Amino acid sequence: MDFPSSLRPTLFMTGPLGLSNVPDMSFMCSWRDTLTLPESLPKNSENGAPHLSTVLLWEPETPGPLPLLPPGPDPWDPGVTAQDLLFRGGFPFRRKPQAVLDVTEQVSNPTVGSAVWRGLCTVTRPPFPQLSRFLWDHGDIAFAPLGKLMLENFKLEGARSRSKKKTVVSVKRLLQDLGGHQPWGCPWAFLSFRQRRFSILGGPVLGKSVASLLGELLYEELATRWEQLLLDDAFTGGALAWVPGRTAQVGQLVYPVGGALDKLCFQEVSLTPGGDPQALGDPGHIQLRGPVRQVVTRTVQGESLLAVRSDYHCALWKPSPAWGAGCLQPFRSRLSVDPPGWVMPLSCENPPPLETAPQNHSPCSLRNVSWAPPRPSPHPCWPVSPRLQQVYKDPETLVFCDPSPWRWADFTAHPRVLTVGDRTGVKMIDAQGPPGCGLLLFRGGAEASCQKGERVLLTQYLGECSPESLHPTLHLICTQFSLYLVDERLPLVPMLKWNHDLPSAPLWAQLLPPPRPGCPQPLLLGGQGGHLQLLHLTGEGASAPRLAGPPQSLPSSSDSLSAFPLLEPKSQWRLQERLKAPTIASWTPQATACCSRWLKALLKVPPAPPVWAAPTFSHRRLLGRMEQREVEPKGPEALRAAMAEGRLLRRRDLGSLPSAEPPPTPEPGPEDELSTRLEAAWEGQLATWWERQQGRSSGPGRQPKRRKRRTQLSSTFSSLSGRLDLSDATSPPHSPDRASPEARPRPPVTPPSQESTQELWARDVPSERQQTLRDYMARLPLQGDTPQGVSLPLSQTSSIRATPSRPQTLPDGTAELPPRRNTLRGATVSSSQTSSIRATPSRQQAPVLSGSQPHRKKPRMGF
Amino acid sequence: MSDFSEELIRSKTEDDKEESCVFSGTGMSFPWLQKHIGTVETGGKKEKDFAQTTSACLGFIQEALLKHQWQQAADYMHSYFQILEDSDSHKRQAAPEIIWKLGSEILFYHPKSSVETFNTFADRMKNIGVMNYLKISLQHALYLLHHGMLEDANRNLSHAETWRYGEKSSSQEVLINLIQAYKGLLQYYTWSKKKMELSTLDEDDYAYNTASQNMFDHSWKTSVNLRALIQTPGVWDPFVKSYVEMLEFYGDQDGAREVLTNYAYDEKFPSNPNAHIYLYNFLKREKAPREKLISVLKILYQIVPSHKLMLEFHRLLRKSEKEDHHKLGLEVLFGVLDFAGCTKNITAWKYLAKYLRQTLMGNHLAWVQEEWKTRKNWWPSFHFSSFWAKSDWKEDKALACEKALVAGILLGKGCRYFRFISKQDDQVLRKKIKQIKKSVKKHSVVNPGL
Repeated sequence: MDFPSSLRPTLFMTGPLGLSNVPDMSFMCSWRDTLTLPESLPKNSENGAPHLSTVLLWEPETPGPLPLLPPGPDPWDPGVTAQDLLFRGGFPFRRKPQAVLDVTEQVSNPTVGSAVWRGLCTVTRPPFPQLSRFLWDHGDIAFAPLGKLMLENFKLEGARSRSKKKTVVSVKRLLQDLGGHQPWGCPWAFLSFRQRRFSILGGPVLGKSVASLLGELLYEELATRWEQLLLDDAFTGGALAWVPGRTAQVGQLVYPVGGALDKLCFQEVSLTPGGDPQALGDPGHIQLRGPVRQVVTRTVQGESLLAVRSDYHCALWKPSPAWGAGCLQPFRSRLSVDPPGWVMPLSCENPPPLETAPQNHSPCSLRNVSWAPPRPSPHPCWPVSPRLQQVYKDPETLVFCDPSPWRWADFTAHPRVLTVGDRTGVKMIDAQGPPGCGLLLFRGGAEASCQKGERVLLTQYLGECSPESLHPTLHLICTQFSLYLVDERLPLVPMLKWNHDLPSAPLWAQLLPPPRPGCPQPLLLGGQGGHLQLLHLTGEGASAPRLAGPPQSLPSSSDSLSAFPLLEPKSQWRLQERLKAPTIASWTPQATACCSRWLKALLKVPPAPPVWAAPTFSHRRLLGRMEQREVEPKGPEALRAAMAEGRLLRRRDLGSLPSAEPPPTPEPGPEDELSTRLEAAWEGQLATWWERQQGRSSGPGRQPKRRKRRTQLSSTFSSLSGRLDLSDATSPPHSPDRASPEARPRPPVTPPSQESTQELWARDVPSERQQTLRDYMARLPLQGDTPQGVSLPLSQTSSIRATPSRPQTLPDGTAELPPRRNTLRGATVSSSQTSSIRATPSRQQAPVLSGSQPHRKKPRMGF
Repeated sequence: MSDFSEELIRSKTEDDKEESCVFSGTGMSFPWLQKHIGTVETGGKKEKDFAQTTSACLGFIQEALLKHQWQQAADYMHSYFQILEDSDSHKRQAAPEIIWKLGSEILFYHPKSSVETFNTFADRMKNIGVMNYLKISLQHALYLLHHGMLEDANRNLSHAETWRYGEKSSSQEVLINLIQAYKGLLQYYTWSKKKMELSTLDEDDYAYNTASQNMFDHSWKTSVNLRALIQTPGVWDPFVKSYVEMLEFYGDQDGAREVLTNYAYDEKFPSNPNAHIYLYNFLKREKAPREKLISVLKILYQIVPSHKLMLEFHRLLRKSEKEDHHKLGLEVLFGVLDFAGCTKNITAWKYLAKYLRQTLMGNHLAWVQEEWKTRKNWWPSFHFSSFWAKSDWKEDKALACEKALVAGILLGKGCRYFRFISKQDDQVLRKKIKQIKKSVKKHSVVNPGL
């Protein structure tokens, strides 16, 4: 095999992560990776990169990946979000928001209340009483076990108690007394002696034990959920695979479905060149005994193999063509195992705890032991055996001490050598060699200029796909920040490092075949949040691997929102949430036709958004007989009946009121600048407000210098954009150039009456920022349906700059617009002269000041 | 002045920056954590509008870049410069680096961008803050080099080379060394151009002397520039190569040997196969004794047993007089064929077939058995399956014949690969296949007694 005849110059430093005195080479940009040093004398100027970039650009045919198959029967649950777990507030956190889990309100146990949870601290004042909310929302979960424990002390049936035991309470009576009342927090609530006794006796048990026990459990659960939210590595490698069929036009998609992801589906799909893929018939499936975490297929010596990884099991199948037809009879596992084909559980003395989410499509590992199980190896020499083979065992992590519950393994170009990776590094080991030997392939440290806190999330051998275009010795290593290509012949020194900037954890990668022979090979990188990036790798023979062009992002599933028919807001929101949800595998570009079908099925599932409901004590459903009596005359009828009987009208007579308590008001938002300003204007104190505003935003004294830099730099880019003239005060506001030709997301609804106001604000915003603001506005969730909604974000962005645009957008202020505008502008100018403020005059297009910046009128640097 | 004071306090503030990056219990940092926290606004003060627009703008730029919308990215970049006026000193100080990274990328790919635009941008960015001067200068020079503007690149590097700020820190020193080395590389390019010119001139010509003097000056300067960096641990292939070439040209063989030996054997350096390859090639040019060449390739064999030089290594070993070299020669061939990328290397198979026969004829069955012992459980399915027999025969009959011979020797006549090939009826190869059958019968290690 050829080795690159000349490698890219790299500094080699040893040491821990984040070593500060190493010149950070990742500061270099992606374009640098496309540069090659000429071997000897460089030829004449050849700027090939821009041409390449257009060749390498993949144009999506649809706005985003569209669903091929309808959603499964199980309702989709958005799961826990950051909002459910985090609190951001309190004075010390203003500058640096911190993730805070708070359980202090309900939990009386001080050890729980003040516990510092995984480096995230609790504040003493409880602003987000999660436990209390849990008790409200999930009372059944919280109290049912206790209820079961105390079952013998309660009598559920309405019949009279024949028991002599004093410890048995009739639930019927108790509930009758409660009668839909909410004594909680109400000093006038009616309490019977029975209730009082129950409360006194049950109080200590219910109040303390439940809360503290539950608090602890909830605490653990939330901590686990939070970690999962940050990084759920169970699906590392992806759980969607393609099994090629007998012809190139047909194949099978293999993927897990169901809430527990324990049903493995085989969907036959036909591919027509140029056409959309189509699902043929219903998928066949196998019910498994655990969640499917990873599905991998591979063709070895002309034979397709399918491997499945679960939490504690691995399985390898040889797919049969009949699978797709839903007929599982001809399905033959090559393994002598019990149906449905799981390999026997790993013989580990201690069953691995839940946080162990190890393994790979190839050798897998548990805890600190790496196993080579049956798997599709790229090298045909690995015998498929029903036994797992231990290949590596080490109680420590590879490079530095770090709790790494994860270990991963893969093949190398040498069939006998495997890689074993954990969060800290990757090692090459000889599967048949003596234990304990090995060579570090990648080290989380200064060798690869790793950052502090950087950890390996994915390692993958890239050589098996197509040895023609890349060296078959390359390994992909992904961390949360960067992507590394390491050649196993030159360990520790990455051949390529690229900062991927994925907004979620990269957990999946696949090298695709090059579009044409000789073309760079695309590498698809997938993040947990469904983000996809495409890199073009090149470097065969004697050249080192490098990026062939700028990386590209492919539309993620949330981008396909625009392809769906418009829905009513609630459904739209739900759809949006669904599309944003983390994925466990890649989406493939699919047909639009399936869209509406998918949508229909998605929305058919009754949405269950968390609706706040006042909790009541009427658990009458427990008692069948009482439920019937509940049907009582309501409202006026009840009043009439009460009058006829000559008794008081009680609240329960009116039945359960639609809203017994108002739902919790939303937390007061941050200071609304617009309202304060409007208030001030209304009271005629706008000048005072303005002064205050100026004082607040006045910047340091070196403002002019920075501004100079900024304008200098701006001019470089304005030469590209060709909109330099726009900054000229004399240019008409309705310049056709201003509208960007690309269809950026615009503010969705802009009534014609607001068109003019839009342009009015535009006049006062520096032209260079107008587009930013437009797009920014389009991004911001519009504030309700107030008429100012559209322009509200603008006021926020421009208020610092003291643009007087705000009053203009007010429907009621339009009549007074010209005079007010003038006064304001006057105020701006005068105050800008008295204090060095941020309301930089050059940004204002006031005629008075435009003359002071003549350089903005003509292009600088002569191009 | 203000910039300098800002930079000075930077070292102090860097610690704060790390703190603001929230770590989980394991010490792992999550770049997407901030996004999660950003969605929660229950209590604290909302992000300032300025910061909000700036970060939104940054997001737009990154998105546009990843969609190759260079024009759009340039438009946003235009607005993003407002970050230079941010009141938050952390952000303001981190800004030039981000602006350079994004801006240079836009200008590198933008269809309307020109070298002049890039130059203007780079020159201005260098002087915003002091910490990025060297890095930007270096990247600017690389850009110019890529565009074939050697002189401009050289000028740029010369400016950067003399630049100093404060006390010379180690990272600054490395960067300056790197800059000097690149300058040396540029000088090497000029030198090699002059060398070409010189080769066309007559030695008696007056111009020859001037040119050669000129060349000599260049090489002297270059060696000064390159020497410092290649002593720092790292991968410096292009620098070492050009340096050695110049040293060799002027007859400084000892100097060249020293440089290459240091580059290959210094333990502080990564185990770079090229270092050994360069040394080997140098020794070969120098016509060093075979023993010496073998000792260099032995180390390369340990690092990269799959390298194409291994076949040359095998030839050297085969020619050697020592018996343990002969044994190693067999080992090397087996080693090459272990790798997935070498399975179709017909030369290696040819060598192995030939050498196996030779070894067995030389009564060294034990050597073969020793090599075969560790491979017999996986080579048959790795190399000699019926799938490979069919596909090899279809693609490359010569390869199939060589493999069949090896399979027959190692696995016996019953081996599927051998059986498949021996059954083929091919006019051209009939004689060859007959020979193979004969050899297998004679040498097969499976029944050594017969």
